[in-house]
Amino acid sequence: MTLSLRKSVDLVSDPKNLDASVEEVFQMMLGVNSQRFEGPMEIEEESVTAVVGFGGLLSGACVFKSGSSAAMKIAAYMTGMEFTEVDDTVKDGIGEICNMLAGAWKGKVPDLSANCGLSVPAVITGRDYNLHVQAPEFKLCHLYQFDNASFEVTIICDGLQ
Amino acid sequence: MGEIRTLIVDDSSVMRKIVERSLRQAGLDPLVVYEAGSGVEGLEVLKSKEVHLILSDINMPSMDGLEFLRQLRAQNLAPGVPVVMITTESSEEHVKQAILAGAQGYIRKPFTAEQVKERVLPLLNAA
Repeated sequence: MTLSLRKSVDLVSDPKNLDASVEEVFQMMLGVNSQRFEGPMEIEEESVTAVVGFGGLLSGACVFKSGSSAAMKIAAYMTGMEFTEVDDTVKDGIGEICNMLAGAWKGKVPDLSANCGLSVPAVITGRDYNLHVQAPEFKLCHLYQFDNASFEVTIICDGLQ
Repeated sequence: MGEIRTLIVDDSSVMRKIVERSLRQAGLDPLVVYEAGSGVEGLEVLKSKEVHLILSDINMPSMDGLEFLRQLRAQNLAPGVPVVMITTESSEEHVKQAILAGAQGYIRKPFTAEQVKERVLPLLNAA
């Protein structure tokens, strides 16, 4: 029998899974509590975006986005170092956060965990850009805050078998 | 055991730092850490350094952690040294693949220092 996630789309797209994944990653890797909030997110000139792709039974991506100050704060918690600019270490740290968020999120659904692979993270920095996906199957986009910093996590599913 | 020489293989320098910090928090002391940014680099390190423990990521560009593990065994590098995989992939199938390739332990990211201690210390004590 061919495995399908079509019938469990409600489980796969349950927003609570994303909240639990963010809480788990920030608590375990940064030692801080993160809370979901309704926004708006603080707008900064420079932003940092990390993308980890999903492939297999589900195709799509996990996207992490924050302003540069939040990205530097996250990297500081991860490494114990201080940052004054978004350097390679900050980008590396944000890529890893996105990787762990993607892994934790798919791990909430056992069939997804076993049958969906992750790409290595890609990190984009810059100003005035938008990420657009045409007609996704579903999309979750949540804002979170910790220690006076905010960030956005998006799960985009553009194909579900 | 005197100093605990450990090889950490991960393409992320931040993760290598976090793993090292977790090992220190787990009480591994004195700890000597060798770092490698890929499986290929990891194999090179092992040609010149003797280690007591290897921790490796799985999802890495150029040579992934499972291939690193297979090459390690094929080239008879670090025989008898416990290898623990650290990865975001945590399904039973992924764990099975790692064990078949020769890993003795598995830690899922994100992790706590306590989890690292629980997985690593018994392997070091048994080695």
